[in-house]
Amino acid sequence: MEFTLLAAAAFAVAALYGMLYWEARHGNADRCAGNLFETALTAGVFGIFVGRIVAMMLDGVNPIAHPGDIILVRAGVSTVGATLGAAAVFAWLARRELIPMADGISAAALAGLAGWHAGCLPRDACLGTSSDLPWATAQEASEITRHPVGLYAALLFAVAAIAIALWKAYRWPGFGIPASAATLAAAVIRLLVEPMQPSLDGGPVWFYAIGVVIGLGGLVWFIRARRLGQRSS
Amino acid sequence: MRRTVVIVGLVLTACSQATVVDADPPPPTSFEEVEAILVESTVPVVVNVWASWCIPCRSEAPLLSRAADRYDGEVRMIGLNVSDTPEGSAAFIGEFFPDAPIEHLADSDGFIPVELGASRGVPLTFFYHAGGELSFLQHGVIDERTLALQIDELVNR
Repeated sequence: MEFTLLAAAAFAVAALYGMLYWEARHGNADRCAGNLFETALTAGVFGIFVGRIVAMMLDGVNPIAHPGDIILVRAGVSTVGATLGAAAVFAWLARRELIPMADGISAAALAGLAGWHAGCLPRDACLGTSSDLPWATAQEASEITRHPVGLYAALLFAVAAIAIALWKAYRWPGFGIPASAATLAAAVIRLLVEPMQPSLDGGPVWFYAIGVVIGLGGLVWFIRARRLGQRSS
Repeated sequence: MRRTVVIVGLVLTACSQATVVDADPPPPTSFEEVEAILVESTVPVVVNVWASWCIPCRSEAPLLSRAADRYDGEVRMIGLNVSDTPEGSAAFIGEFFPDAPIEHLADSDGFIPVELGASRGVPLTFFYHAGGELSFLQHGVIDERTLALQIDELVNR
């Protein structure tokens, strides 16, 4: 069963690389295909590691006393811990040109998330809460039809990734704006799909709400800075 | 750098110390007893097969404890301890399930899961409708989404 998680990770990495490859030929930030890919991959792996440790600590399992448990990723990864861990590592690795690097990775990161959620297909884990919509599907030997919520998330992330990539390629929105838009899109998408996810406690909705505020704040800040720059020049 | 590592280590240790409570070892059971529980139950039953020496069982135990609290009264949770010692199983229950509404039973030979239709590996999680019809069987570690989805299948049938 663990191999299906690897398949989902492979979907994510392939989507990340595919988007960076496309953007490298369509005017993305320089160094995009190589440096950004390695930075994002390092941040992602470290994020999973941090998220797993946070999940263990929240469950009362001591990661120092039980280091072998860390590799049992299926048992739980804290979304909050993983996101903050990945963001911290990305910020550290890209510290010399943080905003250009964040702009450069914005569309590809969303594509990677789309790939990760599409990975619910090999994991057989796309279904969410019950639904009567025409496209709702039931699991084997069940009569309860459900939202294919993993596919909703994959589709929404893919649309957001393509929109930001095209925006960057054909009408450069300005310094910091793609990164802010991607943060906002990711947080809004997770807020939308979280109520449809099967969960014991509803998921970290508060965290996605903070993401919306940060994304919106960033957008307003960078758009304002751009207008002020245009006026002064 | 060394100081940072020590500080992080201390914080991790301090933040994640589990409360260990004295607990009794689970009473021994048989296949017939487990089968009777499943058939006679008027609510759905989730049977988790675990052992104290099983590292993946430890990693999923907090999740099962949370699910037992969340669905207390709607679903009957049974922990089937297999191929274990009384000391090991008591310590495991004391560490991970001190207050969780889970009934633990012991199968020292570890054959009951095979008779229920699974393999001898652990962990395993069986999901039964009321009356004993098997709804889903999870081999290996279970994740939160799968656990929540399969319990939802049971309670919303």
